Amino acid sequence: MNEIYTKKNLKEAFIKESSSANRYLYFAKIAAFEGYSEVSQLFQDFAEINICNAHGNLDFLKNYGDPDNNLPIGETNHNLKHAVFSETSEHNEFYPMMASIAHKEGYPDIANWFESLAKLKKTYLDKLEEILNRND
Amino acid sequence: MTNSKILKNNYNANNIIVLPEIEAVRHNPSMYIGSTDLEGLHHLVYEAVYNSIDESIAGYCSKIEVILQDDGSCSVIDNGRGIPTEIHKKENRPACEVVLTKLHSGGKFGLETYSFTTGIHGVGISCVNALSKKFTLDTWRNGFHYRQSYSYGSCITDLENLGPEDKTGTQVTFLPDSTIFKNLSFSYHIISKRLKELAFLHPGILIKITDKRNNSIQNFKYNTGIIGFIKNLIKSQKVIHDKPLYIKHYSEKRKVEIELAMQWTTEYGENIFSYVNSLNTQYGGTHTYGLKIGLTKSVNTYAQEAKILTNKEQISTFDIFEGLTCVLSINMKNPRFEGQTKTRLTNHELKDYLAKTINTYFLNILRKNSKLATLIVSRALEATRTRISVRKINNIHRHFNFIDKNVSNIVYQKQFGIRSKNWHDSAEWITNSELLSHHVNLLKCDKTARLLDVCCGSGIVGGAFKGKVNKRIGLDITPEMIELAKERLDEVHKGSIYNIPFKNNSFDVVVTREVLHILSNPLKPVSEIYRVLKPGGQFIVGQILPYGAEDATWMYRIFKKKQPLIFNMFQEEDFRHLLLCGGFIDLEMTEYLLWESIDVWINTHETINIHRHEIKDLFYNAPRRIKDIHPFKILPSGEIQDLWRWCIFSAKKPLNI
Repeated sequence: MNEIYTKKNLKEAFIKESSSANRYLYFAKIAAFEGYSEVSQLFQDFAEINICNAHGNLDFLKNYGDPDNNLPIGETNHNLKHAVFSETSEHNEFYPMMASIAHKEGYPDIANWFESLAKLKKTYLDKLEEILNRND
Repeated sequence: MTNSKILKNNYNANNIIVLPEIEAVRHNPSMYIGSTDLEGLHHLVYEAVYNSIDESIAGYCSKIEVILQDDGSCSVIDNGRGIPTEIHKKENRPACEVVLTKLHSGGKFGLETYSFTTGIHGVGISCVNALSKKFTLDTWRNGFHYRQSYSYGSCITDLENLGPEDKTGTQVTFLPDSTIFKNLSFSYHIISKRLKELAFLHPGILIKITDKRNNSIQNFKYNTGIIGFIKNLIKSQKVIHDKPLYIKHYSEKRKVEIELAMQWTTEYGENIFSYVNSLNTQYGGTHTYGLKIGLTKSVNTYAQEAKILTNKEQISTFDIFEGLTCVLSINMKNPRFEGQTKTRLTNHELKDYLAKTINTYFLNILRKNSKLATLIVSRALEATRTRISVRKINNIHRHFNFIDKNVSNIVYQKQFGIRSKNWHDSAEWITNSELLSHHVNLLKCDKTARLLDVCCGSGIVGGAFKGKVNKRIGLDITPEMIELAKERLDEVHKGSIYNIPFKNNSFDVVVTREVLHILSNPLKPVSEIYRVLKPGGQFIVGQILPYGAEDATWMYRIFKKKQPLIFNMFQEEDFRHLLLCGGFIDLEMTEYLLWESIDVWINTHETINIHRHEIKDLFYNAPRRIKDIHPFKILPSGEIQDLWRWCIFSAKKPLNI
């Protein structure tokens, strides 16, 4: 039992470190625009370390695979397949669903934003497929 | 101050033509020579040497000499055709002056275009001139000796004819500008290493270096090319096959020349030396990607054909490249490179072409010689097996609490059994005498004391206490290590730190070093050490600790990749806590900083090849804040030196319990 929680927790920690890294990069830009260069540098430094830590979680997950879909990760052939899997679900399910909810709730602009993301994912998929076909 | 101002103060301004291009180089030197540190300084020498190499490729020069002069200047001399002195029609100045004062102007004046020119920036000797306080050109041509002097990129004399002399050649002497370069001292070591490389890449040419500052001289001339280079690189390493493998290919259509020499050894690391037009592409690029794809494909195809692999199995690139030393030299037109200091080739079209070519040639070599092919494939499969067993170690650890401890003992025994073969050379810290003396200096017992060196390895730590205590007893679980330790200690026992085979209160002092972090439950061995110590007895323990919480996670990743058995990256506070929880008192700590070569440290079987790449990357791309608190150096060769923080603790078992 413990083992299953720890795997999920590693994934959670990966998501936490990754998202905070990105948030700090966003904050750093604002701080720079507002003239707080010291704060901006601090946020950038945090982001850089958090990215390193996010990868540290993947160091462990490499041994177990992604707990959300049980796909192996680590070697490039696995990583490519993992990328196809997650981009497919974002393109087909995740973003279309987000868009339809946004429509229903009366946010057409946000709905369009999600739709744009869904379309972008299709271009990723095309590129991934191209590489996978070439390697076969 | 711009160079034009300096010059106007010193020289007759009427004679000076300061070209905007020269100003541009001086304004932003890094764009042209990569950097203004030691690497950039040496780049000036190489740029001058490349001119001579180009003459030699064209077939007109057989000898190049580099002289590091007493006054801090450098001369580069060749016996080529001499830089032309004829009047350049468009500029209406002597051609040599145009070459030296205009960027990208070399090789356009009467000399037929070179097939491949050496170097990266293509800016030529004019950059060296622009960044020199003094620059003198001597050229011997058409039976005469000519000379012209420059300063900060502009000529300060006209081209003088010094009279007839019966030879040809070029000599440039330059003194780098102290306002541009932070460090003006040429390194004989770095330059001679580079010249040696160039001599291997250009067989037959004599390259000489003379250091007038300390009278060092070396001559480099090799007729063996990159095969000789490989032999020179691997020296006494144990090889998998007798002779280096060699591939040479030239495509007239693509104007690309590929030369590759390879040797597999029993070492763990991969050493790819790659060159594009003689320039060392330290960070690889599209040509090394092509090499990797091509070799991987040919080895896998052969292994399938020979039925060594079943249909779905694949040997990974990392496993194929483990223990491979290779030199890849490409000559091509119009190479493109990424960044300013990063010498990484980016010509995209080259990758697939190289992969295809190397695959074809290498597959042919393998098919023709099945004995050789079997050796190479087996070598790669062995790497695969090691990688899988490392993964198994991780799996064992997952269930660590549920399994018999003996299973893990076998893992430790196996690993340290292999490492015992070169234990003393596998890291600096193991035999560093100053580090050992920091352990010995903490000793508070008298000469009658009984000492236990627990997890003693080869007995180095216990051995350092010779003459300080009465008896030194070692304990280890690895038979090979026990044999080594017998040379240094009075007696050595086989046993585990989890269950020390001695009665309570047996020792006055227990020592150990860099052990507790690889144990899953360190409190248990600390309690065992406490148990076998007499009341009032002393525990001396050395441990590498991070500088703080900020570099700890980064170090954790590095150390875990190096050694999958690691369970803890202790911070100072944790380690103190561990000792205090074990019942120890009177903690004292000495700190000692020691430089360690990461490249040597990771050249070991328990570090799989992909982890070696990842460890290097963690240093190359370390977060800024970590660089601030954790000192390490990346040498121009790419070698990593890390300053490890050793903390040596002394703790006591209370007298009255």
